[in-house]
Amino acid sequence: MKKKINIADERTSTIENRVKKAYAIKNANKIKDNDAAKNSNSSHLEHFKHHKEIKKHLDKLRSVKREKSHPLLHKIHKKHKISRKTLFYIKEYGTETHAFETIIKESIKILLFASIISAFGGIALERIKPLFISIVPLVILLPIMNDMLGSYGTIVSSRISTMLHEGKVKKRLLANRDLLHLFLQIMIIAFITAALSCAAAFIVSAISGYPITLHIISRIVIITLIDVAVIVSLLFFIAVAAGIYLFKKEQDPNNFLIPLTTSIADFGNMVVLFVLVRVFF
Amino acid sequence: MDLFDKNFREIFSAQLVSIFGGLIVGSILAIYTDKILLIPGMLILLPGFLEMRGNISGTLASRLSSGLFLGVVQKNGFKAKIITANILASSFLAVVISFCLGLMAYLFNYAILGVSAPSIILILVIASIIANAMEIPIALAATFYLFRKGHDPNNIMGPFVTSTGDITSIAALLIALVII
Repeated sequence: MKKKINIADERTSTIENRVKKAYAIKNANKIKDNDAAKNSNSSHLEHFKHHKEIKKHLDKLRSVKREKSHPLLHKIHKKHKISRKTLFYIKEYGTETHAFETIIKESIKILLFASIISAFGGIALERIKPLFISIVPLVILLPIMNDMLGSYGTIVSSRISTMLHEGKVKKRLLANRDLLHLFLQIMIIAFITAALSCAAAFIVSAISGYPITLHIISRIVIITLIDVAVIVSLLFFIAVAAGIYLFKKEQDPNNFLIPLTTSIADFGNMVVLFVLVRVFF
Repeated sequence: MDLFDKNFREIFSAQLVSIFGGLIVGSILAIYTDKILLIPGMLILLPGFLEMRGNISGTLASRLSSGLFLGVVQKNGFKAKIITANILASSFLAVVISFCLGLMAYLFNYAILGVSAPSIILILVIASIIANAMEIPIALAATFYLFRKGHDPNNIMGPFVTSTGDITSIAALLIALVII
């Protein structure tokens, strides 16, 4: 039986062997300490039953679809004391030969979604392209803002997911000190980094020969700060609302919130920039 | 309520790394505006193309980190099957997503601007292959190096690959434009 496991799945069987070894040691000590007089044949039988049970459970885990895997992961984790991370890896990449298909299957939809959403944002800017590319500091700021706001999406999502798991997000959202604390922290950092980004963009623009006037500086700073305030607030609202909804549905918000908020950050940034450039220039 | 706690400092530091990468890309865009941004549809595909590189390399680094911590991937095991599968999958995803983005830009140009320029699809696919050839070795080497030095690559690779991904993508796009 052991040989068959090794041929089918060398990597997973390494983990299984480790677990089996740990169980063997644990059981051997248990027997030694508590029941020295017990028959050694019965302990071997007990080990064998344990190994068989672990293998059966791991095989079951591999055959279950991802969206149905969470309760089983939890049960095996509780019963056999195997870390959730190890179990998740066994589930996702049951055999080495399946790794390619698993990655493609799991990633392609969300990557396409994220890229298409970003592209839609780009359509808005494409419509005012001659005006947009004539303002050099804005051209420099575009990728900076996209990166920065995308990162805030990731941070807000993961922090709110953790808060939900810890039971810190209750019914009275507006009076929640943890949420308010996070919101204020992100907003302060966003304003400081936006101001720094503007300064860097002005310096690079001046070096490249673009005339930096007080008129340009004031407008671009206002556009950037409004953009940051609108998008960070929007990200926060979406992450809390979607996070609570997903949590009530007994799904892990981590899996959905990050791609959702990063895409909205990209899309929103370009749409808000489009509106503000039309208003201010 | 201490707003300027450890979390504040960590988020702020990560954002500074993010700004640095974006600033380099923005500067290249400003310098080569006539070559990159004057191409019809480029503003549609550029944000998606830049984001895609960070997403693909970020998840690659994250998967490898998990494998390294679990002992499934060895510290010096560059030739392991699971790494080959990861590299192939990342390359395949990059080409497919680039093709889709290129197609979207082409359709927008055709429908809205009345310009038929199928070369935009080719530019993006070639740029994607070049960017992959540069970014995947960087992501692999950095993940293994950080792990060997006793760091958790999960904490560092996110902002790192976003920044390097942006730079390699824009460089690859320029090379592809020269080739086409």
